Amino acid sequence: MKPFHALLFAFAAITPLAARADTPSPFSLSGFGTLGAARTDNATRAFRANSVSDSGAGASFDLSVDSVLGIQGSLQIGSRLDLTLQSVVRKSPTGSYDPRVTWAFASYQATPELLLRIGRTRLPFFMYSDSLNLNYANPWIRPPVEVYSLNPLSDIDGADALYRRQIGGTDIELHAYAGHSAMNIRGGSANLDKIRGLKASFSRNGLTAQFSYAQADMSLRWSDAHFLSLQQALVATGYGAIVPELSGTDGKTSFMSAGLQYDQDRLLLIAEIARRNVDRYIDTGMGWYVTAGYRTGAFTPYLTVARQRETSPVSSAVTGVAALDIGLAAFNAGRNKAQRSIGAGLRWDAGRNVAVKAQLERIQPGPGGLGIFLPSQLGDYLKPDGPTHVLSLAVDFVF
Amino acid sequence: MRLARILLIAAGLLAPGPGRAELVLVASVRTAAVEVSRERAENLYLGHATTLADGTPVKLIDLPNGTLRDDFYLKLTGKNPAQIRAYWSRLVFTGRALPPREASSTAEARQWLLDTPNLIGYMERTDVPPGARILQRLP
Repeated sequence: MKPFHALLFAFAAITPLAARADTPSPFSLSGFGTLGAARTDNATRAFRANSVSDSGAGASFDLSVDSVLGIQGSLQIGSRLDLTLQSVVRKSPTGSYDPRVTWAFASYQATPELLLRIGRTRLPFFMYSDSLNLNYANPWIRPPVEVYSLNPLSDIDGADALYRRQIGGTDIELHAYAGHSAMNIRGGSANLDKIRGLKASFSRNGLTAQFSYAQADMSLRWSDAHFLSLQQALVATGYGAIVPELSGTDGKTSFMSAGLQYDQDRLLLIAEIARRNVDRYIDTGMGWYVTAGYRTGAFTPYLTVARQRETSPVSSAVTGVAALDIGLAAFNAGRNKAQRSIGAGLRWDAGRNVAVKAQLERIQPGPGGLGIFLPSQLGDYLKPDGPTHVLSLAVDFVF
Repeated sequence: MRLARILLIAAGLLAPGPGRAELVLVASVRTAAVEVSRERAENLYLGHATTLADGTPVKLIDLPNGTLRDDFYLKLTGKNPAQIRAYWSRLVFTGRALPPREASSTAEARQWLLDTPNLIGYMERTDVPPGARILQRLP
């Protein structure tokens, strides 16, 4: 990905010179970011913005959960062809801050209604998938984790087609896509291959309804200490047949979601429901949230209620050997992100390009797992206890 | 006498000031545009469309941040500066559309309209360069 970053810097170098010409520059360069701090009221529970990070915010303010910086360059080639490149710096699931290319595609306006793109775009499983890092464009500090943690992979390398037209005052967008996606997590890796999906949106008078379906082949390879010792114990005691249910390359998955957004004048209403079906390696679950907000001047207070529920665990195998069954139960519980939450927040559009946000959530993890939290001890996955409160503060900006 | 003066001041406050001529939507000199409806103009400046009704691809000009730009978007799309900024950020950073080209001044926008075909911009009516076609008035 080094050449991409070199190209971004080239955009940056050329843009100011081109801006004084007699014709508009074919280059444009812009950026966005968030400086965010989050903390919990429980030192033994680390709050994360996704389900795969190996660290999170504890009982003191932590800048790594929500802070992000993105730069985007675009180049117009002729009247129909554009190149777009976006690179983002934020703490990765493995703890590094290496810049990641989040968009890198060529788009071709084949007809006024049809846009074809090839390259790296965003996996559009959910309503706000496209703007995951772009908190300035969203009301919340971050999209509700009860839905958005169902898919931790954010990019797709492949091709897609966006068909947009207006029929009888309703804007319709159909988005078909295919490709593959890969991600490194500490103690494992995740891949989605042969992804194929379809998303349909209908908008009219501030009301948008959206439906999405996708399926893919899935590989999930765990290599953390807990999995390795469990695997060893299962094989040694003659229960090796269970191992291919826990980790491997033969999974099948599908994602379904439906969303509704009403954003007109003062009222903001958002509701989304999503389901992840998986045949092995990770659990099958569903999540939903409802957000209501009200704009009064530069302030938008909002409330969110959300829930994720597990519908079937990673493995339902039972060995009858107590030590093995406890190990399996802990493995299942560690992958069960069930939780419910209620949150209140305030967005303040402080300036032309700046929004300041504060959000307080009360999150009850479980049943059967610790939700989005990371415990200080593995055994805590089996005893979620009472609710944990999360306070988040952020400044979002675009430039 | 006194009343007349008060009336004069009141009229001055109500009427557009001397520097605030009518806002117009304008096509560059060598644009084949026959007509651009207000709805098409709104679709263009909301990133829903990139072509004119006859399929001609066009590019858009934005003026620098300021009251002219805020007035234009409010009149054409009904969105205030914060809403339009959030709206366009979403389009641009999610790979849906390229933003209008921002001119550094009205003078630069005028120059672009004279030199580049198939461009659409907005400015005060008194600033429209010779040969450029007024498409819509936004009183």
